Amino acid sequence: MGEMMGDALLRVENLHVSVEGTPILNGLNLTINRGEIHAIMGRNGSGKSTLANVVMGHPAYEITQGTIHYKGSNIEEMEVFQRAREGMFLSFQYPASIPGVQVGTFLRKSVASVRGEAPPPREFRKELKNAMEQLSMDRSFLSRYVNQGFSGGEKKRLEILQLLLLQPDLAILDETDSGLDIDALRIVADGINSIAQDTGCLVITHYQRLLDLVKPDVVHVLLDGKIAQSGGPELALKLEDEGYDWVDALA
Amino acid sequence: MTSYLDASLPTRSEHLWRYTPWSRVHPTKVDELPTIGEVVVESEDTVLKIVPKRSIQHGNDIARIFLDEVLENTHILALENETNHVHIRAGGHAVAAHIHIESKQSSSVMFHLTGEAEWVGLWLTGNILPNSQLSVGLINELSTDTVLVRTDNWNVERDGDFELATLSLGGQRIKSDIRTTLSGSNSNHKQFIAVHGHGTRHDDHHVEIHHQQPHSNSKLTVNAACDDRSHSVGTGALTIDDDAQHTDAGQIFRNLLLSPSARAEAIPELEVMANEVAAAHGAASAPIDSTQMHYLMSRGLSQEEATAMLVEGFLVDSFVEVRSDSVREAMQTRLTVHLECQLLG
Repeated sequence: MGEMMGDALLRVENLHVSVEGTPILNGLNLTINRGEIHAIMGRNGSGKSTLANVVMGHPAYEITQGTIHYKGSNIEEMEVFQRAREGMFLSFQYPASIPGVQVGTFLRKSVASVRGEAPPPREFRKELKNAMEQLSMDRSFLSRYVNQGFSGGEKKRLEILQLLLLQPDLAILDETDSGLDIDALRIVADGINSIAQDTGCLVITHYQRLLDLVKPDVVHVLLDGKIAQSGGPELALKLEDEGYDWVDALA
Repeated sequence: MTSYLDASLPTRSEHLWRYTPWSRVHPTKVDELPTIGEVVVESEDTVLKIVPKRSIQHGNDIARIFLDEVLENTHILALENETNHVHIRAGGHAVAAHIHIESKQSSSVMFHLTGEAEWVGLWLTGNILPNSQLSVGLINELSTDTVLVRTDNWNVERDGDFELATLSLGGQRIKSDIRTTLSGSNSNHKQFIAVHGHGTRHDDHHVEIHHQQPHSNSKLTVNAACDDRSHSVGTGALTIDDDAQHTDAGQIFRNLLLSPSARAEAIPELEVMANEVAAAHGAASAPIDSTQMHYLMSRGLSQEEATAMLVEGFLVDSFVEVRSDSVREAMQTRLTVHLECQLLG
């Protein structure tokens, strides 16, 4: 890890990010401490997924100004897999399909990489069984290829299964609620809540319905690549009722 | 029959020899007919008989004419068990074998091709009888310096079902010419080929599938992962005769390019004379998908580990439709071990 700074789990300061020369984030500031749940809402194209991807280190996103500190260190030069091994997790809005790679094999290798050693097989099977039961997932998932032919809901459950197994320090959930029916949403929310106490969570969503189940400590509104408003859970309710026009007016 | 020394040599304008001229895979010089030894063929599961070489139609193909002339014996493989493993061990300077499969009911056979011979000739033949099923798998793990010339001739009769899977990992220069004739109505054929190109391997697979009778189905899947300075060639020739109405046939060639110096050719060709058929073909070459790579790396896998997983998945995916569990599992297990050695050291 690079230069140390402060005690916050994640500290984003004056972050400017471009994709293929187009500015997306324009001076974003955000601090998340362990045990806090932060929700980010905003219109399509406001930069929510860009924030998630740049924190995770996606190579297509260029930081043109500002810093991201994680566990006190600047992580700009840190590779994606190193961030994962340092306890960062992104639940993707559109998880990639990996033909020919079985879910069971993928999970075992991923857990071994993040933990730094392969878990004992018997313990891992037990851990996996418990996590899958918690998410009402059938064992047949394990022999299917990663996300190939999965429904939207199955993809999101697999993301949350990984969240439970990897036990990250920072979990970024990018529209994890999209495509879920009411029952699946409750199961996924329970999964998030079960790790939230010891984790910093950044929940990106369009809808209040997830925040009814995963109670945020702070709600942020992203507008044109920076945070325009922050507040408590009541801010999400206001957005649900009134939309984003009033945020435009304030900005 | 034309003798080898009287036969005219193919030119590079011929589809079959466009990318790998006969001169590059002949054991010595093309105007020579050298002495060729025999490979060792062994099996603990099935009966192997060695008989004087059986006459085979060579169709004026130079490789077959050559093999026909240098081979003295035919190994007859009479499959009696459901699952059979056959080891083909190639040692010495130049060796060859003709293996003919006799299968009456439902059976499968796995060929394990190994050895350090400089040149190996392999001719596989078989007739899939009416209402019978045959699954054949071949894993090529020859030494990195070996030249392999493989010719196959398969015939599938009425209601016969034949699947053929090839995992090509070894050898320096490989020329495979695999021909299947669907001579009976309602016959089915699926063929799966996975190639891992590494170092300077040159791996050329030419696949001909000929539908002669109606209601016959075929599907060809070729996946080649090409690393380093390797060169993979996949050419297909699908022929549907005018009697072969209601045929359903497809060919797909996919190349995964892992290095800027790797090359891959994929050329499916169709010749369709019947008018009520479904015939499809496709070819694609691309580097590793950056979205997949990012996804795996975001789960803690290093670039090398993620690449290995994607390559393995890509190649394993070639065999996903193999019906025979023993063939599919043998392919997947060997592939995993090979890639762990090759890509992760």
